Amino acid sequence: MTFAYAAALAVALLVAAPFVAHLLQRRRADERDFPPARLVPPSQPVARRRRHIDDRALYAVRTAAVLALALLGATPFVRCSSLALGRDGGASFALAIVLDDSLSMLTEVDQETRWDRAVRAASELVEGARDGDAVGVVLAGAPPRIALAPTTDLAAARGIIGSLSPSHRATDLEGALQLAQSLVHGLPQKDRRMVLLSDLADGRSDGSPLGESSEVPLWIPLAELAEPSANCAVLRADRQRDRATVRVACFPAGESRGRAIEVSAGDKVVGRASMPDVAGGIDVGVELASATGDLIARLTGKDAIRADDAAPVLATTGELTIAIVADPAGARLVTGGAPPVEQALAALELDIRLRPIPLLPDRPEDLAGYAGMVIEDPPGFTPEGRRSLAAWTDRGGVVLLALGPHAPLAPLGANFEPLVPGAIAWGPSPSAGLDDKASVLFGSAAAGLLDFRPRGRATIDLSALGNAEVSARWKDGAPWLIERPLGRGFVFVLTVPTSPEESDMALRPAFLMLLDRMVNATRTRNGAYRITVGEAWAFEGAKSLEVIGPEKNKLRVAEEPTRKVVIPDRIGIYEIALDHDKLTRVVAASEKEVDGRPRRVSPSTRSSSLGDTRARVDLSPYLAIVLLALLVGELALRLRARRTLPLETERAAPAPAP
Amino acid sequence: MSKPLRAIDWGSIAPLRLRARALADGVYAGAHRSFRRGPGVEFGGHREYVPGDDLRWLDHRALLRHDKLLVREFETETDRGLRIIVDASASMAFRGDKAPASKFAFAALLAAALARIALASGDPVGLEWVGGASVRPLPAMSGREAFERVVGALETAATGGDLRLDATALDQAFGAIARRAKRGTIVVLLSDLIDLPDEALDRFAALGLGGRVLLAVQILDPDELLFPFQGTVRLRALEGGAVVETDADTTRERYLAKLADIADEWSKKLTHHGGQFVRASTADDPAEIVRRAVSAVAGRFTHGVDE
Repeated sequence: MTFAYAAALAVALLVAAPFVAHLLQRRRADERDFPPARLVPPSQPVARRRRHIDDRALYAVRTAAVLALALLGATPFVRCSSLALGRDGGASFALAIVLDDSLSMLTEVDQETRWDRAVRAASELVEGARDGDAVGVVLAGAPPRIALAPTTDLAAARGIIGSLSPSHRATDLEGALQLAQSLVHGLPQKDRRMVLLSDLADGRSDGSPLGESSEVPLWIPLAELAEPSANCAVLRADRQRDRATVRVACFPAGESRGRAIEVSAGDKVVGRASMPDVAGGIDVGVELASATGDLIARLTGKDAIRADDAAPVLATTGELTIAIVADPAGARLVTGGAPPVEQALAALELDIRLRPIPLLPDRPEDLAGYAGMVIEDPPGFTPEGRRSLAAWTDRGGVVLLALGPHAPLAPLGANFEPLVPGAIAWGPSPSAGLDDKASVLFGSAAAGLLDFRPRGRATIDLSALGNAEVSARWKDGAPWLIERPLGRGFVFVLTVPTSPEESDMALRPAFLMLLDRMVNATRTRNGAYRITVGEAWAFEGAKSLEVIGPEKNKLRVAEEPTRKVVIPDRIGIYEIALDHDKLTRVVAASEKEVDGRPRRVSPSTRSSSLGDTRARVDLSPYLAIVLLALLVGELALRLRARRTLPLETERAAPAPAP
Repeated sequence: MSKPLRAIDWGSIAPLRLRARALADGVYAGAHRSFRRGPGVEFGGHREYVPGDDLRWLDHRALLRHDKLLVREFETETDRGLRIIVDASASMAFRGDKAPASKFAFAALLAAALARIALASGDPVGLEWVGGASVRPLPAMSGREAFERVVGALETAATGGDLRLDATALDQAFGAIARRAKRGTIVVLLSDLIDLPDEALDRFAALGLGGRVLLAVQILDPDELLFPFQGTVRLRALEGGAVVETDADTTRERYLAKLADIADEWSKKLTHHGGQFVRASTADDPAEIVRRAVSAVAGRFTHGVDE
């Protein structure tokens, strides 16, 4: 504190001056000798009564004026705890603010959440920006998003930052920084900077330090946000009969000590299990006793974040369920084990549940539990099977039909409608391998199919398929893979089977890509029953869609040409009205987000040359306005007192003698 | 608590001796006759008989001529003493902005003038004090030196004392008169009547029971009579220790009413006891006040109400 600063603030001691003046004014009444004083009745003088009322207001105004005056004198030296960029020169800045809106930012620090502190800091940065500075905002919750493209309209930036809200997403700091860097990279401002306002808990505490190889200087203020926090979360819970499997995660070790998982139906606890004392994610089995109705799995005790301490228990599996319809005799491997398509799907680890079934169910309700289906070399479908398939695909079912030597052997009354109308023939392939256009679909993996030589292939009458699209062809132009929408569902028709008896396609990388393509289509068509927060529900072919969130709020639906997309950003249960169907979907927390350990950062990101949290802020204009307002207020009070004086004097005067 | 002594603020009244002499000469105009009427050597007129009158002075001729009982009155030259009681308490030292002198100075001037008039008539004059400091009571005396002694006593006196706290303040003056003043003695009280003890009026009125003639002259400062203050004032009494903070504009009427009540009470009481009451302001012409005092006493004898 400099002498000038102290001297300016010492003016504040004059705050006592109005009070002293008031006392002096009170004693100013004339005192004189007057022998018959005992005959004079005492009274509270009118003027003094009036002064009593007004003096309080005047006293307050004058006191405030003195304080404002003292601060005004000291403002060039007043330091406010406010973020401000360090400016070496007078050039304008291109600033990208990366705001972390992930779940871990809901942890409280000093009676406010990390998110609130980060938003306040972002506001301070924008307040400190000057004309000509460009400001952009990127949100670091996964996936990273641009909240505000760089703009020199600082008012718009303030408005956007004020309208942001936290989410339950996971954290993707690297993606957000890349996005921020791309935002400011091409801007005309010479000085560019990224500011990361985050707790740095992205689940990769052992990752490379942030800001190490950044082209644009990265400043990471608010080190207090990066204090490690202890948290436990219920990620998902599934029920199988009288047992629930609850996936929980805790960081650090010891945080789960003394805590338990309770499964309750309404207010009644129907199951309970102690938490194992381990760090990280773990499945905990909970035995349920006479459990009916909607079940909720909750963690007992408290931790840094309450929002992730409960999750609904799903009666059916929350993962995407795909049925594998294959003849066990024909599709199995010589070496034993599941059919190759089943093994390939399992190897992809796409968080799906596989259900091998020998026959296509005849009843539509039996297909309701499946989001997708792989049908291996069927001999056509019975009328009942066709009706079931039609109803199922109409509601979003996705099917991969691999035609094989059984295709022309359909019994009487059986055919491949509604998936493939028309006749299907089977015979040896006249050409080997796919044409070059397959690389559009499979990329470099298409090379493995150039010399593909199956024993035979199916031939399809394309004219009967209508809106079908041939995604890949044999070298002679015959279709290898046909894709066509059917209702809200989708159909992939492969003209070769996956059985190793017929070809080695299951061993080629392009086959895995095909399965991945089919699973993605399944997810987007059905809307996965349970997704991780930040992922999207895409409903292909949906005519109407309304999604109600866990807080009973209606989510915004993005309209795309052929589908409707919703991205939930809060964990919980969602009610979805899709065309005429009512669906229930669940959004779960990310396991990575439970890890509260901060990511390492490069020392250069803390450099005071990039910015300062104790920057000088000139409050003079605001204080001058306050001072002027106080002076106007005093004038108003004096005018009011002058107007009321004659009235009070008249009221106080005795009535004239009759 | 003893009050500080105050020197007399004589103002334009000094020198007292010359002022009193000129005043008395102007009022009396050389008439060397006593104020009193009653049994004496020179016929002074008739009045109607009232029970109790001395039957020796019943005018039998008038009874036969007018069929009325009339009593003959004579001017007397004996036993016409004047006893002056001067209030020298602290409050009498007050002098307002518009007054020519303090209340005590004005009282002293009246006392000296009345004394000279009485002495000129051959009547003895005595001086008593209520309150005050360095005061010398004077027994009734006449002769050439009496006036000088009265003036000397008045000039050497100082004001002081708090009559509201001193219960014995009246005893010395009133007791001496009650014991020594004979029937027909004129007793004149010169005071502001403000800070006298509550029993002062009754005790002063009781002096009239012995056939004495009473006259109370209330001497007030113009400020006390008009209460000319404005706004908030703090007023401190010179006796009694009262300090009052008031808004003068709103309390003036009530103060004047209380002051008038005191005068009215003295006037009624003294009238009831055959006495007279005169109010004076220190801004008034002292000659006029002396005339009113003389007239009041003379009227009292003219009406023959001699108790």
